[in-house]
Amino acid sequence: MTSKNVFGASLSRRGFVKTGGSLLAGFSLLKADTQKTVARPGNEINPALPNSWIEIHADNTILIRTGKSDFGQSTIFTAYRQIVAEELSVPFEAITKVISGDTDRTPDGGGTYGLLAEGMPNIRKAAAYVHQALLELASQQLGVPKDQLSVKDGIVSGGGKSVSYGGLVKNQQLSLTIPVKGDLQTGDGLTVEGNPPLKPVSQYAVVGKSFSNPAVVPKVTAKEIWVTDVRLPGMLHGRVVHPKTLGSKLISAGPLDKARFPNAQVIIKGNLVGVVAPTEWEAIQAAQHVDAGTKWSDWKGLPGSDRLYAFLKEDADWKSVPPAKSDKSKGNVAAALAGSPKKLNATYERPFLKHAPIGPTMATADVRPDGTVYVYSHTQYAQALRRDIAHMLGAPVDKVVVRTFAGAGHYGRSNGGNAGAEDEAVILSQAVGKPVRVQWMRPDDFQWSTQSSAALADVKIGLDAKGNLAAFEIDHYMPAMQDDRLVGAILAGLPTIPAPDQPDDKGVLSGIANDIDDPWIYDGTPTVLERAYGTFQIGQKSSPINVGLRDHSLRTPGQYQQNFPRELAITEAASLAGIDPIQFRIQHTHDQRAVGVLESVRDSSGWKTGSMRPAANGDIARGQGVAIMLRAGTYWACVAQIAVNRKTGAINVEKITISVDPGIVVNPLQLKRQIEGGSVMGVSMTLFEEVRFDQSGVVVSDWRSYPIATMADLPEIKVVLINRPEVGIYGQGSEAANSLAAPAIAGAFLDATGKAARRLPLKPDYVQSLLRA
Amino acid sequence: MATVVVNGVSRELHAPADTPLLYVLRNDLELTGPQFGCGMAQCGACSVLMNGKEVRSCITPLAAAAGKEVTTLEGLPARWAQQNKLAAEEAAKTLHPIQQAWIEEQTPLCGFCQNGMMIKATELLERTPSPTVAQIKDAFTSGISAHLCRCGTYTAIIEAVQRAAETMAKRSKA
Repeated sequence: MTSKNVFGASLSRRGFVKTGGSLLAGFSLLKADTQKTVARPGNEINPALPNSWIEIHADNTILIRTGKSDFGQSTIFTAYRQIVAEELSVPFEAITKVISGDTDRTPDGGGTYGLLAEGMPNIRKAAAYVHQALLELASQQLGVPKDQLSVKDGIVSGGGKSVSYGGLVKNQQLSLTIPVKGDLQTGDGLTVEGNPPLKPVSQYAVVGKSFSNPAVVPKVTAKEIWVTDVRLPGMLHGRVVHPKTLGSKLISAGPLDKARFPNAQVIIKGNLVGVVAPTEWEAIQAAQHVDAGTKWSDWKGLPGSDRLYAFLKEDADWKSVPPAKSDKSKGNVAAALAGSPKKLNATYERPFLKHAPIGPTMATADVRPDGTVYVYSHTQYAQALRRDIAHMLGAPVDKVVVRTFAGAGHYGRSNGGNAGAEDEAVILSQAVGKPVRVQWMRPDDFQWSTQSSAALADVKIGLDAKGNLAAFEIDHYMPAMQDDRLVGAILAGLPTIPAPDQPDDKGVLSGIANDIDDPWIYDGTPTVLERAYGTFQIGQKSSPINVGLRDHSLRTPGQYQQNFPRELAITEAASLAGIDPIQFRIQHTHDQRAVGVLESVRDSSGWKTGSMRPAANGDIARGQGVAIMLRAGTYWACVAQIAVNRKTGAINVEKITISVDPGIVVNPLQLKRQIEGGSVMGVSMTLFEEVRFDQSGVVVSDWRSYPIATMADLPEIKVVLINRPEVGIYGQGSEAANSLAAPAIAGAFLDATGKAARRLPLKPDYVQSLLRA
Repeated sequence: MATVVVNGVSRELHAPADTPLLYVLRNDLELTGPQFGCGMAQCGACSVLMNGKEVRSCITPLAAAAGKEVTTLEGLPARWAQQNKLAAEEAAKTLHPIQQAWIEEQTPLCGFCQNGMMIKATELLERTPSPTVAQIKDAFTSGISAHLCRCGTYTAIIEAVQRAAETMAKRSKA
């Protein structure tokens, strides 16, 4: 068979085999990108290994590969299977394997974010090309024109004849080369090009059903190989003694008592102090022993969390990068404010938050004598980690392989590559010439990981005589969001990508600029001004080791910081106008999907139009609040119903109701579980979470000093999914659930008490201070 | 040396007596159900049953397990089979109803904490076969510390405990 053009993809036969047979759908870069690719040798997938996106096997099984990984979203194991099964017209179960996140075994790069918004078109289009190639083969084999063929459950029929997909590839080695563009290690990785015909949404049979996540079974039966379970021959256990402060330099490492720890070794590289031993318990004890005797220089370069917002207001430099202004900004806000009979002028504050995975970060590295490096990790962005490890070692990127395993979810912390321990494992493995497994202890994870940026927003609202919004102005202030540097490399004095204050040519999202991340919904507002100001990482520039309060994306990054002030301010404005806060929102938007989720959440939550505020008697005051968000094509509305104990200041979130319209609901059960979980995280962040720090570093170190919600804090959670296939998009961002709770709960607090709680978290002492005021 | 009955098998363990049971299970016996979460008995990721009681293996020295019966996540199916005197053939294909309920309810998200959640549920349902929601919440939040799930799967855990309780009650009536 000569090469056959299938909607721009190329179908060819590489040979025949006696048993089995397959169609492998791989890719070739479009010509325009070839030069760039040659300049980056790391783009090459090992040609000895499969690089296909989708494989059709003679036994009718199908395998898919994705460079993305799973963090508990299940998307690559459920939604991706459903979307591929849909395009191919095969049952969900026909896709028997998903290989993910291994740099030598998966074809596309890019980070694990935008799984549906950005990743979906890739795998969907790849599947659509494969479908067309299979039709081409069937047409040849059956002697029936393509347009007279139909497919059901992987059987192609036409002209009274039929053949299975497996039958089409039997005894052959077929390949389909799909056109792509892009680059494995930057931005979104590779993108599938061209326009193969896609199955119309109206014909969907697999998308929209609640398939179970196949990855659950091994996790529940202890058969999963977690990243924590990777064991290599000759492997040593490692621990790192991290510096005393975020600006400390090593004066001297503590002595190692060889009588007590005969098999342990101390490795010092710059300011990195590592301890390795053959057994984990010896490594832990020896590291504690060395830690106790290690001397560090002191540093006090942070404002301390008590001064955080004063620092952001008075001391931080917001002028080094120009502010971003939203494209929804319009009209003369200042004039409208001046002419408004009722005004709101307020500042909103959100602290640093921790990703706080249940398992502290860990990784195993194997630096081999020939210079090849294997990293076994739980990463959201294997290709970026690969690039950064190579950069750290000064090695070509094709010397490094990153393999991804299941691990404790960390909600965005590694979407620029690393979560923390990977580079330290590589440095220690290189030093001892053996594989090393570095496990951070609980305090390491709280004190040396990145955190979600604190933020501050100034809001000015003007209401006209009828109580409608005449002006809305919001200025967001947030330090650099994304520091993707490898912290072990920084400590060891090895090369990293630039710090966020440096011009960035390698990092993905690094930098100090801020952006408008929370799409404006209230288009009925005549004058609007939204600006976002960025600044340097707190402490970084004055730290002798160039490390400050390193920031990093956490679920709904940037948008959480911006949606809390906006939505609470809108609720306050409704209160000022004397209008029900849901009605007030509906009055100010023409967006029917926004109105739809607001009406849905009103009708399904038991919302009492006007207010829940009771006559003030007794210690308990109840209230209801609402918030709305548009994220990545999905509309969210949330109602929180709470009880405030006036005496103790404790808030009990009694019920959370979320209505969501993502367009096409791919898997209702998985989406519901995601939303329930996100709601709990949202309650946790709203009521309990704050990264406390002093002038030297983060002082929270465990689950007592950084408490998160327990089952005792669980509200009743009601999820309403609004499936709108006619919208024709796969909206995503199931993470948004975590972000909705804060403005909804603070809105409910306003309803219950008449007080605006503009600073998170809503801990009892803060609540009591508001109630006294 | 300590002798511990692990998942029904007597094991002679040679790790130093102060070694936390977690590392002995994970590294010496390759029983990787229990996970390292905090090392301070604050989260429950490392839980195992010791003589039927849920304990935190990260702070339990090997010496304290000597002579005891330890069940890990790996041992739950056999524990159920033994308690219900299942024939070998049936036992080989039967998960513990708690594991089965965790699958049917699609409880785990990342799943890292769920070892401890299932171990705690086993302890609870062996003592209180039909717990109320309040009793379930109490079980998962009392003791040395609450069992923590960062993904927030508490609703799904409660639903899975209730489902498992029904299955187990049916079995005991049969």
